[in-house]
Amino acid sequence: MSFTDRHFFLIAVALYGISSLYAIFLLRRGFREDNRINYALLLGGALFHTYAMFQRGFSLQRCPINNLYEATIFVAWTIVTTYLLLGSWKRLRFVGAFASPMLFGIGVFALMPSLDPPHGDQPVFTGGWMSLHAALILLSYGGFGLSAIAAVMYLMQEHNLKYNKPRAVFSLMPPIQRLELVTGRLMLAGFVLLTAGLAIGVIYLKETHDVYFKGDTKIFWSMLVWLGCLAMLISRWRFAQRGRRLAWGAVGMFAFVLLTFWGSNLLSGIHNPGPPPSPTAEQRP
Amino acid sequence: MILVLGLSHHTAPVTLRERFAFAEARVPATLAQLRESGIVDEVVILSTCNRVELYVATSLEPRQAFEELHQFLMRIHDYRDPITDEIYKLAEPHSVEHLFKVASGLDSMVLGETEVLGQLKKAYDLALQHNHTGGLLNKAFQRAFNVAKQIRTETNIQRGATSVAAVAVELAEKIFSSLDERHVMVIGAGDTSEKAARALLSRGAKSVLVSNRSHDRAEALAKELGGRAVGFDSWAEEFRKIDIIISSTSAPHYVIDRAKLAPLMTLRGNEPLLLIDIAVPRDIEPEVNNLDNVYLYNVDDLQAIASDYLKQRKDELSKCQAIIRDKAQGLLGSRRPAKVATNPSPAFSHE
Repeated sequence: MSFTDRHFFLIAVALYGISSLYAIFLLRRGFREDNRINYALLLGGALFHTYAMFQRGFSLQRCPINNLYEATIFVAWTIVTTYLLLGSWKRLRFVGAFASPMLFGIGVFALMPSLDPPHGDQPVFTGGWMSLHAALILLSYGGFGLSAIAAVMYLMQEHNLKYNKPRAVFSLMPPIQRLELVTGRLMLAGFVLLTAGLAIGVIYLKETHDVYFKGDTKIFWSMLVWLGCLAMLISRWRFAQRGRRLAWGAVGMFAFVLLTFWGSNLLSGIHNPGPPPSPTAEQRP
Repeated sequence: MILVLGLSHHTAPVTLRERFAFAEARVPATLAQLRESGIVDEVVILSTCNRVELYVATSLEPRQAFEELHQFLMRIHDYRDPITDEIYKLAEPHSVEHLFKVASGLDSMVLGETEVLGQLKKAYDLALQHNHTGGLLNKAFQRAFNVAKQIRTETNIQRGATSVAAVAVELAEKIFSSLDERHVMVIGAGDTSEKAARALLSRGAKSVLVSNRSHDRAEALAKELGGRAVGFDSWAEEFRKIDIIISSTSAPHYVIDRAKLAPLMTLRGNEPLLLIDIAVPRDIEPEVNNLDNVYLYNVDDLQAIASDYLKQRKDELSKCQAIIRDKAQGLLGSRRPAKVATNPSPAFSHE
């Protein structure tokens, strides 16, 4: 049996799963243990994950974001690689304990066979603008994902401090002010990427359909996400809506993206133009 | 053979310890006297507020050496009352293990504290400078310093705060990214609040304001802390830029309540605020903790954290014991263990 890219991604998801179990252990210990094991597990998962994406990309001869499976694993890849960079700073390494359950969940979801239909001779989404549009938007979702992770850490640590739990002091988690800052900055980064991705989408729409706007489910959905994010950033910047409110906002927004992305994509005419003309070899494990 | 004779906070009250303490200036002469007496070949005197100990290397039989050292100590301090249990006498291997314990802070009043290591180094350096140490004590003290370092890095015995002031600092460090830009306000110039303010300043807090019903006292404390005194009734005006409040007034009512604090929080852009209430009766209404971005700790909360830390340190003791036993055995090597140890104590219990 030869290993396909999905097999490698499966191994990555298994490592994310083990990391999630280890995260439970860390949580029960009040985050007092060194987090190197978790970092190593996520690093191993990221290597298999990257290899799976490269293999898929080489087989397609282009950036592998042509269906929901590929889009989903791209978001997860953004999250894990950004975490690995953040985790090189020891004081932020605990982000991994919160990232691994999310990566595991997204990974299991992505492995659903219906999300990865066989490509035709020509993948659905092609062209430089289209690839850039998709990549930027998926990177922005990765940014929102990490922002949500930092927000969950904030909420947990803030709760412990608020209710005078000794574990607030004993844990090796970063101070809540820094977690809030990280949440806000990642949200801003996600917003900038989303804005750029949507702007490129408009250019692409003009090139292919000769219009700047189309009444499409996914376009309305994207505008809703963009406006929601903008509202949160403005309320933080101008109206001092910080702390718990910002954290809940970050978590809520990413949950909304995660839960409705697939539906809006499937209902979208321009993002879902119908089955490919001729299927190639099966790619599923 | 290395012997230890001394008294500490475990065995003697402060009234007795102070009678046996050596002023630093007197130590070199005492070291010389001990060497000249022929009782010891090498000697280090450790004299702190919690202990007075003689670390000696001698060729005499332990029983005889202990007797003569005991008499020397009584004579030099002109102490004539009978004294037995207060003075402990340890022969190898307990003496070496005791030295390692002291260096690591395991014999200290606050388990795992590090101040004693500095005092031990100073005592050793003094003896070394005056040529009162030799092969045995040099090796033992160097090893003790290494063991202390190993215990500090490999165990959690020194982790965490064990005083109210230190817990206040830890809490602040869990809330604020950095203490560098933080402004502290002390309301009521009590001893514990002063210590907490000092601890915060030592960690980098930017400024301190002191407010007290007696303005003179506020001025005096502000001067000591390098801060500024503000009127007791006008502290709220300064509130906008304050990040940490330590309150310890003797007021019979709440000094800070929710109704007063809520509008002030909006004024300061909902930046986090740490309130440390160490007054009894309390100065700060507990309901303020329900406000967003406000974190209130009273004296019981702080004590509970300090006690938990102490418990954690105690849990680390077995790890430290294993390291000390191993290192002591390594140091003593093939040397024959002492046959006589007067009033020996178990290696890891308090004397």
